[in-house]
Amino acid sequence: MPSPTGVLAPSLTTFTRSVRSKGVSVESSIDNLVSLFKRRQIRDSRPCAVATAQLLRRVVETSKVTDISKLIERVRQIGQRLISAQPRELSIGNIVRRVLGVIREEVEEDREGETSGYSDAGTDSRPQTPKEQDSRTPEPSTLSSRSLTTSPLRHGEMDSILEEVGDERPQRPPLLTSHTSYAVTNTAPTVTSMFSLLSYPRSNIHSPTATPGSQSPSIHLSLSSQALANAGAVKDLKAEVVEGIHEILEELNQADDQIAGYALEHIHSNEVILTHTSSLTVQKFLLKAAAKRKFTVVHAEAYPNHHEATHADVIGRTKSESDDSLSSEVFQKTLTAAGITVVLIPDSAVFALMSRVNKVILDTHVVLVNGDIVAAAGAKALAKAAKLHSTPVVVLSGVYKLSPVYPFDPDALMEDGDPSKVITYEDGDFVDKIEIENPLFDYVPVELVSLYITNLGGHAPSYLHCIINDHYRAEDLDLDISDVYQ
Amino acid sequence: AHAAPFPEEPKRENKNVALFDHLYGNPRRTTLAGASKDVHPAVLALGLQMRNYVICGSSARCVATMLAFKRVIEAYVTPPQNSLPRHLTTHLSSQIEYLVSCRPLSISMGNAIRWLKVKISEVDVSTEESAAKTDLCNAIDNFITEKITVADQVIEKEGSIRYEMATKFKVIVVDSRPLFEGKNLARALADLGIEVQYSLTHGISHVIKDATKVFLGAHAMMSNGRLYSRVGTALVAMTAREADVPVIVCCESIKYTERVALDSFVHNEVAPPEELLIQGETSSPLLKWLDVPNLQLLNLMYDLTPAEYITMVIDESGYLPPSSVPFMQRLSVNS
Repeated sequence: MPSPTGVLAPSLTTFTRSVRSKGVSVESSIDNLVSLFKRRQIRDSRPCAVATAQLLRRVVETSKVTDISKLIERVRQIGQRLISAQPRELSIGNIVRRVLGVIREEVEEDREGETSGYSDAGTDSRPQTPKEQDSRTPEPSTLSSRSLTTSPLRHGEMDSILEEVGDERPQRPPLLTSHTSYAVTNTAPTVTSMFSLLSYPRSNIHSPTATPGSQSPSIHLSLSSQALANAGAVKDLKAEVVEGIHEILEELNQADDQIAGYALEHIHSNEVILTHTSSLTVQKFLLKAAAKRKFTVVHAEAYPNHHEATHADVIGRTKSESDDSLSSEVFQKTLTAAGITVVLIPDSAVFALMSRVNKVILDTHVVLVNGDIVAAAGAKALAKAAKLHSTPVVVLSGVYKLSPVYPFDPDALMEDGDPSKVITYEDGDFVDKIEIENPLFDYVPVELVSLYITNLGGHAPSYLHCIINDHYRAEDLDLDISDVYQ
Repeated sequence: AHAAPFPEEPKRENKNVALFDHLYGNPRRTTLAGASKDVHPAVLALGLQMRNYVICGSSARCVATMLAFKRVIEAYVTPPQNSLPRHLTTHLSSQIEYLVSCRPLSISMGNAIRWLKVKISEVDVSTEESAAKTDLCNAIDNFITEKITVADQVIEKEGSIRYEMATKFKVIVVDSRPLFEGKNLARALADLGIEVQYSLTHGISHVIKDATKVFLGAHAMMSNGRLYSRVGTALVAMTAREADVPVIVCCESIKYTERVALDSFVHNEVAPPEELLIQGETSSPLLKWLDVPNLQLLNLMYDLTPAEYITMVIDESGYLPPSSVPFMQRLSVNS
């Protein structure tokens, strides 16, 4: 195995270390991650998401861009590179979209903050704000005339307003209506590099849903025409974006625990629960329930790709087996230690046992916008057997696994694994004569799923798209690689 | 090969899965120790072979049992003050008891043994012993030929799965843990030059897309039309049915039983859980499973496929729907 980082085999841990160290340039971190993805040395949704978020945080931190639209474009391009390095790990794209969303949101909030800041400072009464804004709408839109017509009152307050921006976000009144009217009259795209520092990146907008009112802050800021203040604003914004990415990382860390928080709402006493393959999410969920309830878990081992992890799950891991994807959480209690009876079965026995199973709880690799999931191979037959026995199938998934991508070609999301796991080298003689199939994933259609539980709660399959809409911005949905070549 | 790898501990947790507690019975015999002295060496060997899956599969076990019993009969001498029809049956019973202690009898073995006992009881007391023995041995040979060998040939012909037909086709073998019996089939077919694709249960949803027919073997056909076969069969049949691929069961009528079953719990066979440990892997964490409280391993042998998933059954008398199995069963018993 190639080992660019030295002693350790490249993995999420080594990447995390290298991306944090000051000695490694951002470009080489990007290249490193791209190759890690390509070589599948970082795989599975969570590690991919974490690595992507860490890289993007570094990118934002170190970016010297003075223009937010350039930052967005840079994140987009890096995102495209990462996605094309491993298009089947949809969580990479999810995180890139989330980060873009954070940047866009901060830009907008900043803008809102400023306008509200002005009005507060000017009149000290919010209800009047729209009126005041409206009164400004007829301003001529050329630069020269603006500097003449705007009240000098606002110049002096520039600095304090900028300072407020960071702390006062939650209290800002929504000013969208006034913005709208304002924007309509003020559409001249006169943004040049210095003046557009905080402006909405018009040049980038592919979607017609771009937020209106985007020009107003640049106009006000341009009045101050102080490079210092501008730089401060970008720095502030950068800090906020970094904070936003940090929150995403936090979410990635906490998702499993948050999902587990809903466990008691779904598991009753004396239940027989069937689960499949090794999953930290499912294990935490069941452990949480095990603290209060007694039930039985039937665990299908997901041979031949995940059985080792499954066995380790039921037996309990030792230190030496720690996997970077699970980091410190590895050493947690097993279900059996919590007093739960665990029955380990080969995958083939799933149908035989299904009639006595009350619930099937599945982990997933990805949830697509229509509710279809990509899960470990074997999950489809399992879900189908559950459906035939009218056993509910519950899918646990962090929000970061919800992808806004519509699966036009489900087969493209499938992946084949190492055939030597199916036929070992002892049977090498007939390997030449036969074709070996070892799929890693199954595509489970939404009809087979009864309920999704994310870190936000339980959702009906039909409601999923709302959650997805809440988390991704329309203008970022199309991160398509083909854009690069436009 | 399956010598107990774990030292007996004085007090051990019950590792039986509660749902199947009725199926565990005595642990399978691992040695010849304690076997009745009446048991014929051929049967002694057969028991261990079946226990270790050297002889595996409903038909093979049936044939092997009948051949072993033939040797038992050949070596049999009626003790004084006894008649052959009366005593031979009890003599066979001790052989059967030994076989059961190695591994529960298959349905086909049960059917064949029942047939043999009837044959023995039909022997005229006045017949000379050597003549009676020869008759019985010939009957056994005929039975094997008629019920298994020819039946297989006929099924093969009816199923038109003969390679000689020169039709081009591809076989997808879906195998499962822990026995990997499909490997033998895949190997045999590949050696014949047939295109073979091999996968495990986890890939069933993928490989079914390429399949146009699904052929299943049977351990037994129940009288309510359900198929009792190696665990995992039901998954294959279900997936095929959902994909609108016809499911065809190839089954000799010796495997029909008057028994009925609705689920895979009441009647089944639980194999020793140690067989689930990955062979040749010394570092597998599962090796410690006995020390982990509350952990149970379930190694189920069979499952029951609902009749709805079965399009057709092929036996030596022709094609029939699964619902006709009880009639055929009656015919084959009465014949």
